[in-house]
Amino acid sequence: MPDTALTNEPNSIVCDGNEAAAWAVSLAKPDMVAVYPITPQSSLVEYVSQFIADGKIDADLMDVEGEHSVMSVLHGACLAGARTYTATCGPGLYYMFEPYVRTPGMRLPIVMSVVTRDGLTPQSVWGGQQDAMMLRETGWIQIYCESVQEVLDSLIMAFRIAEHRDVMLPVNICHDGNYLSYGVTKVILPEQEMVDDFLGEKDTNWHVALDPDRPMSVDPLTGGEGPGGPSTFVRYRKSHCAGMQNALRVITETHDEWERMFGRSYAPLVEEYRLDDADYAIITIGSMSGAGKDAVDVAREQGEKVGLIRIKTFRPFPMAALTSALAKVKAIGVVDRSVSFAWNCGPVYQEIQAVLYQLEERLPAISFIGGLAGADITGEHFARVIESTGKQLAGEMTEGPVWLNENE
Amino acid sequence: MGIGHNTIAFHQDKCDGCGDCMTVCAEAKSGTTDTQHSRLKIVPSVAANDSFELAMCRQCGDPKCVLNCPSGSLTKDHETGVVPWDQEKCVDCLLCTVGCAYGGITYNAAAGHVMKCDMCDGDPACVKSCPTGALEYNKSAEIYNNYGELEDLFVPGLAACQGCNSELLIRHTMRKIGSNVVVATPPGCIAGMGTVGFNGKTGSKIPVFHPLLTNTASMLAGAKRYYNRIGRDVTMVALAGDGGTVDAGFQSLSGAAERGEQMLYICVDNEGYMNTGMQRSGSTSFGSWTSTTPVGETLRGKTQDAKNMPVIMMMHNCEYVATASLAFMDDYYEKLDKATAAAERGLAYLHVYSPCPTGWRIPPESTNEVCRKAVETNFATLWEFTPDEGLRFTRPVDNPLPVEQYLNLSGKYRHLDDEQLTHIQNSVKRKVAFLNGFMLATSGSEAQMQ
Repeated sequence: MPDTALTNEPNSIVCDGNEAAAWAVSLAKPDMVAVYPITPQSSLVEYVSQFIADGKIDADLMDVEGEHSVMSVLHGACLAGARTYTATCGPGLYYMFEPYVRTPGMRLPIVMSVVTRDGLTPQSVWGGQQDAMMLRETGWIQIYCESVQEVLDSLIMAFRIAEHRDVMLPVNICHDGNYLSYGVTKVILPEQEMVDDFLGEKDTNWHVALDPDRPMSVDPLTGGEGPGGPSTFVRYRKSHCAGMQNALRVITETHDEWERMFGRSYAPLVEEYRLDDADYAIITIGSMSGAGKDAVDVAREQGEKVGLIRIKTFRPFPMAALTSALAKVKAIGVVDRSVSFAWNCGPVYQEIQAVLYQLEERLPAISFIGGLAGADITGEHFARVIESTGKQLAGEMTEGPVWLNENE
Repeated sequence: MGIGHNTIAFHQDKCDGCGDCMTVCAEAKSGTTDTQHSRLKIVPSVAANDSFELAMCRQCGDPKCVLNCPSGSLTKDHETGVVPWDQEKCVDCLLCTVGCAYGGITYNAAAGHVMKCDMCDGDPACVKSCPTGALEYNKSAEIYNNYGELEDLFVPGLAACQGCNSELLIRHTMRKIGSNVVVATPPGCIAGMGTVGFNGKTGSKIPVFHPLLTNTASMLAGAKRYYNRIGRDVTMVALAGDGGTVDAGFQSLSGAAERGEQMLYICVDNEGYMNTGMQRSGSTSFGSWTSTTPVGETLRGKTQDAKNMPVIMMMHNCEYVATASLAFMDDYYEKLDKATAAAERGLAYLHVYSPCPTGWRIPPESTNEVCRKAVETNFATLWEFTPDEGLRFTRPVDNPLPVEQYLNLSGKYRHLDDEQLTHIQNSVKRKVAFLNGFMLATSGSEAQMQ
């Protein structure tokens, strides 16, 4: 394969993940972008602000006094009919939490980047997925990217997924702080006209609106014990869950359409890498997957029949796709970049337990936790992961969690 | 439907008996300064020393003078509300003076016939001449005439507590502003009384929503920006309580004010979280009993003064800031007009004192009396501010009543001791002194800069 980075393609630029996200925003043409800076997201909102200043993005920029208001102004704008975007992470996300958790219940198709950052406390400004993993039960769609190009492409796709009438849910596109936010690569920019065709007209408030031409009460008190209260509340919850399940199909269709129009293909839910003839597999999420694939290649050269399963869509949880992938192997190791404190393992590992229950045979599994607070997960780390995972086949078990950066 | 009429009100406590009104009346109506020809009389009170009574036509709705008049000289004009006297038809029988209980129509020996007030065609000379504000031209009737037949934009049967005037406030307010609006009613009494509705049903005929307690101003700002973007002129209105304004919602409001977001933000201040069981807020006044500043062996109510929110908003340099009280509806209406206009330029903030019969332990029928006494004691001051004109008192109270006369009306102050009373009286004086100083510093701000 030729090194295309050295060729002179008119639509290619060299940039980091935060700038790629800003280009995606410019192509998706939101009406309003609300921003509040926070490391490692800051340069993303700086790029977006500059693009708006330069006229590259024709959107209202609301630079408000905190993340709580960021999400709140987007609620107001979306209810009035706007297509909207923002980005945050870490403590900013925690501060945004109150309006954040309200967003999917109102079925507002807001798109937000989470430039993942490790949690408080200890104080840390570096990458890690603790913030994004905390969002698991908030009802947002959550998609994790592996590369800078995937950040750009997925962010555009996110608007189409969010606004799909069978879905109508907000979408988080997660890209790892440091590794993707600042990692610089070549990126191909899609043509604006094709993106316009791909996304179509915005469609954000047909179902709920703050509009004098369509007066309605938005989010009245619902539930309680009164007549119709419980059933009304249940109806909201059931339709939300249904929208999530619909999203599995819509995300897949959207990726198919993306490939058809733009020629770049991504596994929409779960990527299987060298899995078909594998005896065992490691499971990854986010930017670490690249190093994981390299390590798999190295192990393969040494005769190990190992593959890799990358989770791209984490919410809704791709149960069927994961069940099908795990059915191909006899042992697994799951690498998390965050911690489930209560379960003493990584959160992805914890959820994989539910997938294992679907299988005919019980699989041995190990939880690995690495890459916290900006720590590297290198090829050497993955070599250890592969080795321990493979040894399970011979009955040599490792009790998790294994803290990959414990001695660094 | 009938129409209401403006009236001349007399504030006995302000009258010093100077008689300027009589001189001016005589001049205006008879071309002489001889007060014998005045159509109103200021006379020493028979009930109390050093005070005065007003004898003047009340322009009664069912006037006994008209009933008594055998010649058709006196009639009731239902358009203007005035009882005019027609000298051509008068037979000088004086039966009218017998009918009137107010000394409103009397015999003028010098002129040789009766005389009475005709309200100077809606611009009474006596009121303009009064140096103490004892005479006031009350235009409340215009509110009824102008807005009484406009559509009420809330459903009947909102579930406000008996005697609560928040419901009165929101019905008047939205009736006046109209339906081309987006209305936010954050968690609190106004939402709790059913404006946003329950289980899929609405309590309003206009777009209305529950923001969070914390993000009212931000949500409205986002909606307004988008409407501006697509070229639609829609007015944003917040009907919020003090908890959602001065406490949890403060940051979003402060940010919106700083950015000059276009909206009308009305804070209905009942000094606490009354909807959820009467807990203390940052707007609860010193000494108040609330369910979280209880009265017991060691605690005697709230130990801090209220956050002075309207002043804080004034310091944000909002397009318009004003305080209001529903005992002074005409004052509120004038401010509402200005605030609605200002909300198209930036943030307009109205702070409305709204006693809570349930939480303050006052009889439901006393709400307006409590409102009025708050103003008359200077506990609540009525003023307005614009960046260009500075601060101006709209109903200055130069000789305030002792603050006890206000506090004694509410059960929530029942336990106050002398020390607490002194603290409250002093803080009332300090607040007024601050506003006076600010008024002097800012009056005609635009002019001062020249």
